[in-house]
Amino acid sequence: MGEGLVVEGLESGYGEMQVLWGVSLRVNRASMTVVLGPNGAGKTTLLRTIMGINKPWKGKVIMEGEDVTFVPPHEKVARGMTLVPEGRRLFPELTVEENLLLGAYTRISTRSTAGYREALSQVYELFPRLRERRGQKAGTLSGGEQQMLAIGRALMSEPRILLLDEPSQGLAPKIAIQIIDLLSNLRRERGLTILLVEQNIAAALKNADYAYVMEQGVIIKEGERDKILHDESIRQAYLGL
Amino acid sequence: MPFADLVVGTLLYGALLGVIYGIATAGLSLIFGVLKIVNVGHGAFMMIGAYTTYWFFTLYGLNPVLSLPFSLAIGALLGLAFYYPVVRRVIDAPEMASLLATFAMGLLLQEAARMAWTSDYRGFSWEVARLEIGGVSIYASKLIAAGLALLLLLFHYVVFYRTKLGLAIRAVVQDREGALVVGINVDRIYALSFSIGIAITVASGSLLAIYNPVGINPYMGAILTLKAFVIAVMGGLGSIGGAFIAGVLFGLFENVSYVVLTGIEGVQPLVLTRFIAFTLLLVILLVRPKGLFGR
Repeated sequence: MGEGLVVEGLESGYGEMQVLWGVSLRVNRASMTVVLGPNGAGKTTLLRTIMGINKPWKGKVIMEGEDVTFVPPHEKVARGMTLVPEGRRLFPELTVEENLLLGAYTRISTRSTAGYREALSQVYELFPRLRERRGQKAGTLSGGEQQMLAIGRALMSEPRILLLDEPSQGLAPKIAIQIIDLLSNLRRERGLTILLVEQNIAAALKNADYAYVMEQGVIIKEGERDKILHDESIRQAYLGL
Repeated sequence: MPFADLVVGTLLYGALLGVIYGIATAGLSLIFGVLKIVNVGHGAFMMIGAYTTYWFFTLYGLNPVLSLPFSLAIGALLGLAFYYPVVRRVIDAPEMASLLATFAMGLLLQEAARMAWTSDYRGFSWEVARLEIGGVSIYASKLIAAGLALLLLLFHYVVFYRTKLGLAIRAVVQDREGALVVGINVDRIYALSFSIGIAITVASGSLLAIYNPVGINPYMGAILTLKAFVIAVMGGLGSIGGAFIAGVLFGLFENVSYVVLTGIEGVQPLVLTRFIAFTLLLVILLVRPKGLFGR
């Protein structure tokens, strides 16, 4: 298995406040890796720094063998990596279809629809609900639909590496599980490399190949799914068992 | 002049001027809407447009209408020239930084204009026909200026709602981080929006000079900035359609109150009109803090 995404000794933060204190991790190609940890551990900052929304202070981000540490976000999207951000960050006043269209921004032109037609029909196949609501403003969708749209929008750029920041946040448990199952399918069927930050730990761990546990800006534990799943301290701290 | 003609004439001139105020505010609104900064140097950019039309007419006899493409180009370049070294650095800074920076840009243009062209008041007279509309005789040049303003608004609308660039601009306005993760080069969108905003602003200065080809001087921008603020706030900051409608209302209001106040003895109509305009703004803000058309 090749390396999809490698992070080495990543440090970053906001202004004077350092949040990440040397985070290293490795996501194999076509695998699903989950990062667990309490609120404020720096999980969101980690994803934002990998994506380039926050500037890395130190360390490296390597995408399929290529150093992309200082590549700006828009270029990372063009190269095949994107983020489903915390809080979805949809364009509320634009329609569902316009949101999806913007997902393919790096490949669309005003004249030709060739670049996104197929991706669009794939997304609609995946989420028939979005097709029904294609002309509706994104801001009027339900929470679950918005999350589908956020994932659909990310898929429109046809990424090979997908970062997701708590996609199940604010969703009913049943829908949350559906979303995570869907990600797991995408990984299997399309060979997507997935790095997932998730609060819904049971569902995330069930589908993940590998897990990292993060606290206060550093990785404190890592391992194969089964090892983490059976780790006594993790079961107590995160699974409530 | 019969009373009815006076009323028609006042309203007509007010509406024509208002259309120009509307487009003059659209640039300010666009820049605020996208970059979230208030361009305090707004009027100075309009001054550059007025001089552009003046000089092309005076030196080369160029038809003022044809100076519009030059104003747009000069504005677009000025916008880029100010964006990269200055504006870009203050977008994420506290508001005071962007206020001071844009204020400084205005001063810079103003003093450069004074050094280049002295502080003389300048004007030109472009001989065009007068038209009869409903018994009122009206300068064709004023109609042309208003027509061009509408054309610019249309251009603005097409860019905003019918192009990929416009879609990207609207995306950045609605969610900057969402725009980043779909692969929009947000910095480039800021640069282009600022450039387009300044281009429209400079062009609106040309239109103002066509409408009223007198009183062109380096310091003419101050009052234009104030008026644009009043109109932008009336219309709801960042709303371009709102700015336009508010501009027309403001033009109507200004003209009507000027005519009415002229009839009162011992009143300086121009000064009092401004006083009333700001009072109006206060009242609107008290009743509708987000402006007439703000959401």
